Amino acid sequence: MVSENWQAKGWQADLQLGFAQSRDKTLLVKRQHYGPLTVQRPFYPEGGVCHVYILHPPGGIVAGDNLCIKLKADPKSHALITTPAAGKFYRSSGAQATQLITMQVENDATLEWLPQDTIIYQGAQLRTINRIDLAKDARFIGWEILSLGRPASAESFNTGQADVSWQIYKQDKAVFLERLLLDAKAFHARWGLQGHSACGTLFACPASQQTLSAIQQFIGDRVGYGVTRIDDLLVCRGMDSRSDRLRTFFEQAWAIVRPDTARRQLCVPRIWAT
Amino acid sequence: MVTDFTLLRLLQLVSPGLPIGMYSYSQGLERAVADGWVANAEDAGEWTSGLMERCLTRIDLPILLRLYAAWQNGDSEKVNYWSQQLVACRETAELRAEDRQTGQALARLLVSLDMMEMRLWIREPETTLATIFSFAALKWSIPVREAAIGYLWSWLENQVLCAVKLVPLGQAAGQQLLIKLGNKIPHLVDEAFMLADHDIGGSVFGLGLISSRHEMLYSRLFRS
Repeated sequence: MVSENWQAKGWQADLQLGFAQSRDKTLLVKRQHYGPLTVQRPFYPEGGVCHVYILHPPGGIVAGDNLCIKLKADPKSHALITTPAAGKFYRSSGAQATQLITMQVENDATLEWLPQDTIIYQGAQLRTINRIDLAKDARFIGWEILSLGRPASAESFNTGQADVSWQIYKQDKAVFLERLLLDAKAFHARWGLQGHSACGTLFACPASQQTLSAIQQFIGDRVGYGVTRIDDLLVCRGMDSRSDRLRTFFEQAWAIVRPDTARRQLCVPRIWAT
Repeated sequence: MVTDFTLLRLLQLVSPGLPIGMYSYSQGLERAVADGWVANAEDAGEWTSGLMERCLTRIDLPILLRLYAAWQNGDSEKVNYWSQQLVACRETAELRAEDRQTGQALARLLVSLDMMEMRLWIREPETTLATIFSFAALKWSIPVREAAIGYLWSWLENQVLCAVKLVPLGQAAGQQLLIKLGNKIPHLVDEAFMLADHDIGGSVFGLGLISSRHEMLYSRLFRS
């Protein structure tokens, strides 16, 4: 189920980043890119943690585009990666766009993958895979916030198809495999999004029972939000009619899980405020 | 070919009377009703058929097919692999616990029916219902297509029984749902058996979400 031959694809954009720990901070030791995917110079707003913004200057992904991002965090390193703007998948006349993101987190390393939301225009055709490989004592936080159609322009999601996978492996063993097929039926159905234009999932590993309880309390009486903990993997899900509200929710949930999973206090990337 | 005796074993295997505790799991339906997502027979039909088409047809059934073949070939590595993949596809802690508990219960039952090979699976954390169900079907010479029809039918019957209790629905409305949704089964099994390995996988956002919310429900009748 995971062995599609994606290697054979002709990537139009490819970005590979490697992080390694020096004496007092995490360095971006590998930066290799092809096509329109780049990074800004890393910066350090909280001591040794390496903050990086990934840029995609074309601003959106069109039919037939293939994007590939590979991230690797060496032992003991700590990197936080975000994006300065929402990702966009535009309407397609037929061809599928693909995006493969692989993240490899070694022992005692921490990787936080916190991109801004992804807007999927009505009529877009895409397949995305997020594949995470965790070593025994790796630490990982990641989220994906999807916004379907453009509710501000009264656009629904009556055509198009997003095939979205999360595959989390620990020591080469599959621990979480999810594949959502979002189409018109799933957008409207009661087993799907019930017409809500935004849905999202946050993963945190390892997360304690106390963190689970804290998130459960944080959710409280809110409808459309839930959390579970599968062994030490916390999975928090939410859907909302407004992606900004969902985004705020996940930022707050991240603030709760971060001290436990990433062993750091909150440090909000400044770019989110702009 | 289904003989009279294989038919009888199949009926036994898919019976709600099979002592594996299926009746205590609603797969999130309890919370879906509590949250007002499922309020009547029509909603229950939409919910259940969505799960059948998007989840069971794309995960359980193709994996059941592979497990059956692995048992048939005596390939324990493949049995373990597909069991593990199936576990990893379960969206929440509660759905995993359900699969493990019903699978282990069926393994225990089969041991008491002299299928001693199942002894190891009674405590194995990656036991799933499909792992053990496929073994029993093979042992009892139930052909794989009939086994898959039976597996989906017993899941459907359990969901409808839950809906009858929870929504609630009248008994006749429940039976009407079983006929309507049951009629989809042969086609869904055909579809599931066509899937290649890399096509396997499917979830719906509502199931993972509502099952997570079921775990947070203060007072529960069902274990999932």
